[in-house]
Amino acid sequence: MSHDQHHQEVRIYEQSAASKIVMASNTSGTESAAAELKLQFAPFSSALEAGFWHQLTQKKLNDYRLDESPKCIKGYYYNGDPVGLPTRLTLEYSAFDVDGPTPARCCPAVGTLYNTNTLDAFKATDKKALLEKEAKEIWDAIQSGAALKDPSVLCRFILLTFADLKKYHFYYWFCFPALCFLEGIKIVQQPSVLDQALSAKQISALQEAYDGLFKKGTGVVPYFLMKYTDDTVHLAPLGDWDTFFTDNKKVTVGVYDPCTLSQHPGWPLRNLLVLLANRWGSKLDTVEVLCFRDRTLQGSRSIQHSVIFQVKLPNLSDSSVCPKSVGWEKNSKGAMGPRMVNLSECMDPKRLAESSVDLNLKLMRWRLVPSLDLDKVVNTKCLLLGAGTLGCNVARTLMGWGVRHITFVDNAKISYSNPVRQPLYEFEDCLGGGKSKATAAVDRLTKIFPGVISEGYNMSIPMPGHPVNFSQATLSQAQRDVEQLEKLISEHDVVFLLMDTRESRWLPTVIAASKRKLVVNAALGFDTFVVMRHGLKKSPISESPSGGAESSASCSSASSSSSTPAGSAPSIPGSSLFSNIPGHKLGCYFCNDVVAPGDSTRDRTLDQQCTVSRPGLAMIAGALAVEMMVSILQHCEGGYAVASSSDDRMNEPPTSLGLVPHQIRGFLSRFDNVLPASLAFDKCTACSPIVLDHYEREGFDFLSKVFNSSHSFLEDLTGLTLLHQETQAAEIWDMSDDESI
Amino acid sequence: MSSCVLDKETFRHCCQLLLQLSEQLGDCWCWVPVQDSQDGYLRKTALRLVTIDSRPFGDQAESSSELGPHNSCLSGPDVQQNDQDQSALIGSANGDIIRGDIEDQDNKDNRDGDDGEDRICRMCEGSSQVLQYEYHILFSCSYRAPVLYFRVCTLEGRSLSLEEVWGSIHPNFRLCLQTSPFTMVTQQEHPLLGQAFFMLHPCRTEDFMRPLLQAAQDQNRPVNYVLTWLSMVGPVVGLDVSLKYSTQF
Repeated sequence: MSHDQHHQEVRIYEQSAASKIVMASNTSGTESAAAELKLQFAPFSSALEAGFWHQLTQKKLNDYRLDESPKCIKGYYYNGDPVGLPTRLTLEYSAFDVDGPTPARCCPAVGTLYNTNTLDAFKATDKKALLEKEAKEIWDAIQSGAALKDPSVLCRFILLTFADLKKYHFYYWFCFPALCFLEGIKIVQQPSVLDQALSAKQISALQEAYDGLFKKGTGVVPYFLMKYTDDTVHLAPLGDWDTFFTDNKKVTVGVYDPCTLSQHPGWPLRNLLVLLANRWGSKLDTVEVLCFRDRTLQGSRSIQHSVIFQVKLPNLSDSSVCPKSVGWEKNSKGAMGPRMVNLSECMDPKRLAESSVDLNLKLMRWRLVPSLDLDKVVNTKCLLLGAGTLGCNVARTLMGWGVRHITFVDNAKISYSNPVRQPLYEFEDCLGGGKSKATAAVDRLTKIFPGVISEGYNMSIPMPGHPVNFSQATLSQAQRDVEQLEKLISEHDVVFLLMDTRESRWLPTVIAASKRKLVVNAALGFDTFVVMRHGLKKSPISESPSGGAESSASCSSASSSSSTPAGSAPSIPGSSLFSNIPGHKLGCYFCNDVVAPGDSTRDRTLDQQCTVSRPGLAMIAGALAVEMMVSILQHCEGGYAVASSSDDRMNEPPTSLGLVPHQIRGFLSRFDNVLPASLAFDKCTACSPIVLDHYEREGFDFLSKVFNSSHSFLEDLTGLTLLHQETQAAEIWDMSDDESI
Repeated sequence: MSSCVLDKETFRHCCQLLLQLSEQLGDCWCWVPVQDSQDGYLRKTALRLVTIDSRPFGDQAESSSELGPHNSCLSGPDVQQNDQDQSALIGSANGDIIRGDIEDQDNKDNRDGDDGEDRICRMCEGSSQVLQYEYHILFSCSYRAPVLYFRVCTLEGRSLSLEEVWGSIHPNFRLCLQTSPFTMVTQQEHPLLGQAFFMLHPCRTEDFMRPLLQAAQDQNRPVNYVLTWLSMVGPVVGLDVSLKYSTQF
């Protein structure tokens, strides 16, 4: 980009290919070749450390507040950089402590901070006036002689800032004021590196003399005077001019030079030359300049690469008027304009939390499971039906995995008994009748981790055997609920069934099966639990007629408890019928049932309606439900993955995280889990083809029949009624057999 | 074995020795005291010209072999993209107003034809970028070991993400790092500054220091725990410790 803008510029390549120099020029190539006899300076590049912005933020919040008055700050520059680095003026966290120490061997530079309260004020600030004000101060110090006593005034800077602490955007613009001669500075003797200009003896004498000068002062000496013979080198502070140079015949000045270019001095020389011209210009024709560079690499010090040259001092037109000045830094596009840095990632606590969470998860990948596909997990949208003991624990474990999208559906309010078992709620949430669980859970998740994208729906899920046809209002409410649930299931990738009744799981099971969404189901007994994934039906397009026949064949064989493996079920010797069931043939929560879901809360005591389970069970089952989901997601076939069974525990696991079981059944009394797998049941009241077919064709009309009817409707539809009659007949046979013994 | 862990007193002593050597070698470690406490940390900053490889960390093992010599033209680094976006923002949203009121005096001189001279030479930012590395050595009471904190920022003061930091490490070296026991890098708040830093986790420090310390003890050789440790973990994050720290003196 910038190359296009500067196509007229001439590039010179230094020894190092890394250091490309651009001669900022509007002149053509030939003209700038002629201009090589004029001295050019490498301007400062501003360099800010992260700590500076942190400190500015603190100052703004605690000290400055709305105070816009100029503040004194301190930066530094260094003359020991390796070749290729830009000439920098650095501001770090210590910039606000003007009297504090400067890093060793670095030269302090004092500046003025103008921190505005608004972006408009930042824009409206008269930059030209700021520069002229600063230039005038430098000029005054030169004229008064104050600059001789304290030459650091020659190398000052201005920093204009605006800190947008809502967005953590920082606007800034540096200025390194330099007074200008009207004409260019003619080079009398081309720059050469020190070891070509001076003897080794002189160089070591120079180093010794500089260290002497350095020790006398309190810190680095930015400017100094120099006299040398074949054997000796003498240095003196700038203020000693009159006693040091008695004849003004040959004058050499040294400057602590942060530039690394072999043909150019850095910015600090500019104002020094103006000072020389102002005070001694009339007596001096040429000045020799030593750009003192002092580098230590791997413990060995070198000043040989310092640069020395001679220039002719131009006349200052009128020594009473402040010369023109320059110095505002160009931005990264090479234009005259401010810079902006967005630090939200390292300063916004919310962003920090997000990156820390992600980083912690990545550690798992880097160190333990290199093939772990975290993105798949993090980007999974999870719908949690039920925000009780299971829902709370599932949500927390999902957050642990960095899952961002978590949606809750629940119609209950938080009661006094909940907070001790449901880790997203507190005592306060129970007061005044209790908050809605779905919305309270969202609030708490956002408090725990602001990066979460969570929504709560306070709604009921219509259930079989729980009639909705009391009135037109209840019927249309049920219809809206169904539509909402259908919409939510469509919008999510994984549906968690975490309710406390069996029948409330029926509708989402049907909808999710129809929409081919992965379902993870967790249910608790007193000291037992089941965590399972529902079989994921093949999509209607990919399901071939023969495949359908196969599955119904194997299903019927399973349902009739036939001892001969049927159809496609692989018959490996020694393996059971239930090994290697592919995901699309796995059963759902209702497949093992021989009764349709109905009103299970009827005829129960209050005790039985509440969750009566060992308190640790929900945490175990909730965590397992999430871990099962993650394992499924890591499998290349996802929900279609072949079910792992307990027998697979010794085999090579199918994913980087291990097995992908169909079910985990836990028995807390024995502290034991088993991994059964079961086939889809062709008479299943929830996922059998006939139910799905009716749902897909008739929609709410079919569903409302289910809600409003007793068990028998679904049982008749699926053929369970017939099955019951058959099994009852068989039982009678069994009984009679028994009795006969 | 007691000498495998570090107590605070020894830590400070080791740091002091390291500082003396640093001073003599012209290295730039310094001790930063923390106000109103005896605590403090060693600090060093370094600048580096690097080419950012923006690919995610996990991809590096597979692809590092196909990369040629260092800094072969890896294009499209995230960092630079960001910078460009940001400056573009200024240019479009605010730039016009701000740009208008001051002029590039050095160049204006040229336009005015005062004397047709340009007085500025400018470093051109090529495909590589200057990064500021900041290293802190702190003492961890819970691990009784030194801990290396670091962050890397651009010249604008924007800290790099860990991916970007990894991207700045030579691909060949990255491969070694992946298998090294020191690369437990996490993001953590600096315990003394409260700012976000990366940290080399000290959970295995004792493990890899033990044989060294034991050998030194067997041979009756004095060992600067902090220096020895630093020479092992430093290179992981681009912090080289000169051999002269142990050979020169």
